[in-house]
Amino acid sequence: MSRYRIPGKGRVDHAAPVRFSFDGRSYTGLRGDTVASALLANGVHLMGRSFKYHRPRGAVTAGSEEPNALIGTSRGKGRFEPNTRATMQELRAGLVAESQNKWPGLGFDLGAVNDLAYPLFSAGFYYKTFMWPRAFWDRVYEPVIRAAAGLGRAPSEPDPDRYASRYLHADLLVVGAGPAGLAAARAAARAGLRVTLVDEHAEMGGALLSDPGVVIEGRPAWDWLAATLDELRALGVRLMCRTTAIGYYHQNMIGLCERVTDHLDSPPENAPRERLWRVRAARVVLAQGAIEKPLVFDGNDRPGVMLAGAAQTYLHRFGVLVGRRAAVVTAHDSAYFAAFDLADAGVRIAVLVDTRDAPPAALLDQARRRGIEVLAGHSVTATTGRLRIRSVRVNRVRDGQVAGGRAIACDCLLMSGGWTPSLHLFSHTKGSLIWDEAAQTYLPGETIEDCHVAGAGKGLWGYGAVLADGDAAGVAAASALGRAAAGAAPAVAHDRTGSGEALRELPSDLAPSLARAFVDFQNDVTAKDIRLAVREGMKSIEHVKRYTTTGMATDQGKLSNINGLMIAADTLGKAPPQVGLTTFRPPYTPTTFGALAGYHRGSHFELTRKTPIDPWAEEHGAVFEPVAQWRRAWYFPRPGEDMEAAVARECLATRASVGIFDASTLGKIEVAGPDAVEFMNRMYTNPWTKLAPGRTRYGLLLGEDGFIRDDGVIGRLADDLFHVTTTTGGAARVLTMMEDYLQTEWPDLRVWLTSTTEHWAVAALNGPNARKVLEPLVEGLDISADAFPHMSVAECRVAGIPARLFRLSFTGELGFEINVPARHGADLWRALMAAGAPFDICPYGTETMHVLRAEKGFIIVGQDTDGTVTPEDAGLGWAIGKAKPDFVGKRSLSRPDMVAPGRKQLVGLLTEEDDVRLEEGAQIVDDPDQPLPMRMVGHVTSSYRSATLGRSIAMALIENGHSRIGEVVHVPMPGRTHRARITGTAFYDPDGARLKL
Amino acid sequence: MQVTVEELAPVARFSLRVRDKGVAAVGKALGLTLPGRIGERADRGDLTALCLGPDEWVLTAPEDARDRIAADLAAIYARAPHSLTDISDREISLRIAGPAAATLLSIGCPRDLDRLEPGRGVRTLFDSATVVLWRDGPEAFRMDVWRSFVPHVRPLLEIGQEELAAGL
Amino acid sequence: MLLIHCPYCDETLPEAEFAYAGEAHIARPADPMATSDEEWRDFLFIRTNAKGPHYERWRHVHGCGRFFNAIRDTVSDRFLMTYKAGEARPALPAKEGAE
Ligand SMILES: [Zn+2]
Repeated sequence: MSRYRIPGKGRVDHAAPVRFSFDGRSYTGLRGDTVASALLANGVHLMGRSFKYHRPRGAVTAGSEEPNALIGTSRGKGRFEPNTRATMQELRAGLVAESQNKWPGLGFDLGAVNDLAYPLFSAGFYYKTFMWPRAFWDRVYEPVIRAAAGLGRAPSEPDPDRYASRYLHADLLVVGAGPAGLAAARAAARAGLRVTLVDEHAEMGGALLSDPGVVIEGRPAWDWLAATLDELRALGVRLMCRTTAIGYYHQNMIGLCERVTDHLDSPPENAPRERLWRVRAARVVLAQGAIEKPLVFDGNDRPGVMLAGAAQTYLHRFGVLVGRRAAVVTAHDSAYFAAFDLADAGVRIAVLVDTRDAPPAALLDQARRRGIEVLAGHSVTATTGRLRIRSVRVNRVRDGQVAGGRAIACDCLLMSGGWTPSLHLFSHTKGSLIWDEAAQTYLPGETIEDCHVAGAGKGLWGYGAVLADGDAAGVAAASALGRAAAGAAPAVAHDRTGSGEALRELPSDLAPSLARAFVDFQNDVTAKDIRLAVREGMKSIEHVKRYTTTGMATDQGKLSNINGLMIAADTLGKAPPQVGLTTFRPPYTPTTFGALAGYHRGSHFELTRKTPIDPWAEEHGAVFEPVAQWRRAWYFPRPGEDMEAAVARECLATRASVGIFDASTLGKIEVAGPDAVEFMNRMYTNPWTKLAPGRTRYGLLLGEDGFIRDDGVIGRLADDLFHVTTTTGGAARVLTMMEDYLQTEWPDLRVWLTSTTEHWAVAALNGPNARKVLEPLVEGLDISADAFPHMSVAECRVAGIPARLFRLSFTGELGFEINVPARHGADLWRALMAAGAPFDICPYGTETMHVLRAEKGFIIVGQDTDGTVTPEDAGLGWAIGKAKPDFVGKRSLSRPDMVAPGRKQLVGLLTEEDDVRLEEGAQIVDDPDQPLPMRMVGHVTSSYRSATLGRSIAMALIENGHSRIGEVVHVPMPGRTHRARITGTAFYDPDGARLKL
Repeated sequence: MQVTVEELAPVARFSLRVRDKGVAAVGKALGLTLPGRIGERADRGDLTALCLGPDEWVLTAPEDARDRIAADLAAIYARAPHSLTDISDREISLRIAGPAAATLLSIGCPRDLDRLEPGRGVRTLFDSATVVLWRDGPEAFRMDVWRSFVPHVRPLLEIGQEELAAGL
Repeated sequence: MLLIHCPYCDETLPEAEFAYAGEAHIARPADPMATSDEEWRDFLFIRTNAKGPHYERWRHVHGCGRFFNAIRDTVSDRFLMTYKAGEARPALPAKEGAE
C-alpha cells in the first residue's frame, strides 16, 4: 500500500490495483482512481510545468476546472492526447502518461530560466517586446514564439479511434448529479417526465462523494445516493456519467460530450472513444454547483498547495491523504470541514490561517477540540520549497498592517478563497449575471431559455438548502410541462453550512513587484500583471483579459476570473459589477476534434453521391472528380496514360466513332399538370407553347435579376408534361426556385414538380456511329435521322429496358441520351458497351465532356458564367422568347446597367502560340506594359488542349468582347505574358453539319 | 442482434400531387381515402398512401400494380388534374428493425422519434440526406433514401450497428 | 439549432429540416414590365434588414417542402410566430414565445 493511501477508505477498489506509468516511471493506483489521485497516493505532487515560467506545478483541484495538472496520455500508436486533466483522467491498466512544458525533465527544466526573468515578463510583454525591428518578425520572433507557444505537444499521427454522435430528446435535462441535480431529477421523474441526468465525473453524487458524514432522509449520504440512483433508474431516468455539457445553444439544445472508453483497460472493438450528444430538452436544470476559489499570495502555485475542497475529495473519494502535515489558509468556513476531516484521518494540521478576524465560534470550538491552532486575522505571505512546498510564512494582519511573519513547516497547504457559482452554461444562454454584494460573487439572473439554475450555482450553501432547491426545480419543470408534482425536500442532518469573505490578493509585506502571486495558473498571470495592465490603461475587463491573457487559457478562468476581477476593480477603484465579467463561451471544457467531427471522417467526411454506373467506372479504372455532391468519372486512363493523353484519346475516339458518357447526375424534374406550359413559359426565357410533344428545346433559366442561373435540354412528353433537365450542381437549386415561384407567386397554377433525377440512369452516346450502336437495341421506335430528328424525345425500349430516349448533343456530334429506371442503369451501360464494341466505343469522363463542349462553344453554367452574366453577354440572346410578356428575369434585362456598354461578354480566345494553355481564371489586359496595378478587362473562364483541333482553345469574359473579335489581348501568367486573339466561341464545326447525320 | 438493417426489394412507388376537389376523386380511383394530415397513412390491401405535404402523397404498391394504378389515375385526369410520377427507382428502402432501431436512427435523425408513432411516416433528414421515414411498428422503421445517397447512408448505419454491438 | 413550427405540418421541428428563404411579403409585381427602374430595383434588392422582429420566409425543405412565413426576432434569434404563405401579414404578437 502506498504511503498516502488509507486502507479501505474511499470509493476506490482497494482489491484492484492498476499499473500505469508517469514520465517513464511505473506506479500503482487503484481502480476508481484518477491519474491525479493515484499520483498523490504515491506522494507525487509535481505533475507539470507552467506555460510561461515553467514553474513546477501540481494538481490544485480534483475536478474539470484543473489548470495545472495537464498531462499527455497515450494508448499505443496514434492514441496520444495532450492537455488531459490528470484530475479527470481515470486510471486504466497500462496508461502511459507524461508531463508537459518541460525539457529535459520535469524535475530539472531549462525553460525555468523564464522564472528567474519574471521581473522582465510584464503584462503585455508580447505587445511591448516583439514590436521592432520589423525584419525580426519572420526570422526571429515568430520561430521563437511558435516554439514556445502552445500547451503539450500535438499528436503526429491520424487518430485511429472512432467517434460517435446521437440526437437525444428529453422533457428535462439535468446537468450535474450533485445533491441539487439528484433532487431535481427525482422530483421530475416521479412526476412522469422523460429525464436525462448527466455528470462529468466517473460517478454521480457531486459534493456528496466528498461529504459522507452528511445524513439525508435518515441515511448516510452515500446510502442515500445509492438509493436515489436506484430509484432514478427504476423511474426510467437516463443516467450519463463521464458526460460533460459543453455548450448551451438556442432553445434548450445542449451539447454533451460523453467519454466512452478512455477509462477502460481494453475497450471493446468498434466502441467509440467519445460520443457527442445533441440534446433537445423542454426544460433544463443547471445544477453544476460551485467552484472553489484559490487565494492569491506569493508562492500560491507551489506543488502541494491546493484547494481545501480538493483535499477533502481526495480523502473521501479516493482514500488519499494529500500530505501528512497540512497548513490551511481560508477566507471561508468550508475549509474548516476539510481540515477537520483530514485531522480525523490522521493528518497533522500544522496551522489553520483564517483571513477573517472573527471566524464562527462553533468552528473554532471544533478546531480546539481537535487541537488545531487557528490564527484568525492572519495572512499567508509566502511559501518555500522547490518541487514541493516545505513551509508557509504566516503574518498577523491588524488594520491592514502586516506584521512580521513566521514560517511554519508543512508538506501541503490547503486554501479556500470561497466559492464561485459555476454559471458557464448559463452564460451560454446569454443569461444575465447579477453581482451579489453579500456573497461577493455573480449569481444567475434572467435568461430567455427554459432553464433553471439550482443549488450552489445559485449561491446556496449547505446540503439542506441545496437539496430543497433542486427538488423545487424538478417540481417547477414538471408543472411547466403540465404534470402535477409533489415536492419532497429531503431532511438533512449533520449539514455543513457556512459563509466567507471575498478577497483580492492576501495582504503582504513583500514588495508587490517581486510577489509571484498567481491569479491564472494556466496562463501564468499574477496579481502584479493585472494591476499593471490597469495602470497602463486597460480599463475594461475585456482589455485586461487580452492584455494579460488572464482567463484565456483552456480552463477559461474557472478559478481565476473572480480573483482577477476583484484585483482589477480594486486597482480601478470601482465596484466589481462596474468592471464586469468576460463572456464564457462553449465548450465548457476542452473538447476533442474527434467528438465534434463524429462520424464525418474518412469516407464519411462528407456526403458522396454515386450513380448506378459508378461501380462500372470504378471497375474500369476511372479517375473520379467531385462535382457538387457527386463523384463523377473524370477520365478513364489506360495503362501508361496521363490525364492529358487519356482525354485526348477519349475526345478523338468520340469525334471519330462513338463515345459513351454517364450523364445520370443531370438534374431531372417532371413538370406536370394542365398549366405546365404556362409555368414553363414563366420560368424559362424560351417560348414553350409551340413546342410539340416529342420535341425538345435548350432551356435557359435566369434569376429575377436577369443573370443566368441554369440551363438544360427540356423535352415535352405530352401537352401537360415536361421533362426538364438541369445542370448537375443546379438540380436542387432549380427545383427550389421553381417551387418558390409556384408556391408563393403563382399558387393558382395547376402544375406540380417532381424530382426524377435519381429515378433515371442516363447514358449519353455521342459520335458519328452513335446511331449504329443504338439502333439494334431499340424497340418500339424508329430512330432514323428523319423519323427521330435532332432534339426529339420518345418512350421506347432499349436493350429490353423501358427507356425515355432523347436525341440531343452537348458535343456537336450525333448524340442520344438514354434514360432508363436507375436499377437498370448498369445493365444498359453494359449492353451499350457490348453493342459499341465493333465501333471501338470509348467511355469518357467529365473532362472530355468539357473539352468537347468547349470546342463547340457550349457554356457550362457556373464556369463560363458567374452570376453576373446575362443571356446577351453569353451570346444566348437567341434563347429568349422576345414575344413573351413576362418570364423570370425579363424585366431586369432592360435595367440601365444591363444595356449599358462595357459589359463583359463571352468570347473565344486563341493563343498566338498553339501549345500555350491559358490558366482558367487568368486575368486579361489590353496593354501588358502599363504600370501596376493593371486594368483588367476580363478573365479566362474555360481553357483546354483540343486534340481535335491540335491546339489550345479558351473561352473568356471580356469587356465589349462581342465587338472586339479579331483583336489581340494579353494574358499575364506566372513566367510570362501571352498574346491571344479574340474569336467566336464555336471552334469546331460552327455550322453544326455533324449533327445532321 | 439489437437492430438489423436490410435493403428491401423494389416496389411500385409514385409521387402523387393533387389538391382541392381532386383529392377525393383520386382517392376514390385508388379505392382509399387519401389521409389529410401530414404524416398520416392509409392502406388498402397492399396499396399504401402516406401524406408528405399538403398536396403530396407517396403511393406504394406491388410492382405488378404499377401500370394499373397509372391507368386508373390517367382515366380521371381530365376531371381531377393531378401529377402521378413514377419514382420507383428514385429511392431505395431500408428496413431498420429491432429493440435498438430508434437508437440507431438517432445517430443521424434530428427528430424526436418518440413522437413518430407506429403507422406514421414523415420526410426528414438522416445525416445530410433527405429521407422518408416510416414507422411500421414500435421497433420497426423503414427509410426511403434517394439511391445515390445509399452509399453514404448504409455504411453509416453499419458503423452505428457496430457501435451498438460494442455495447457502449 | 433553432426549433421551428411548420404551419403545414403543425409540428415544432429541428432547424436542420428547414432552409431560410429571405424576407417575406415582397410580392413580385403583377406586371414587371410596367414597373419603373426604381420600383424594380427596390423589388430586387431593397430589404428591411430589421433589428428585432423580422418578417421572413422559410422552407420546410426536408419535410413537407412548403414555403411559409415567420416573424423572428433577429436580436434573440427567437421565432415569434409562423404562418402559411399567402396569409396576410400579421401584426406583431404581443409577447415573445407565442408560436
Ligand atoms: Zn412542414
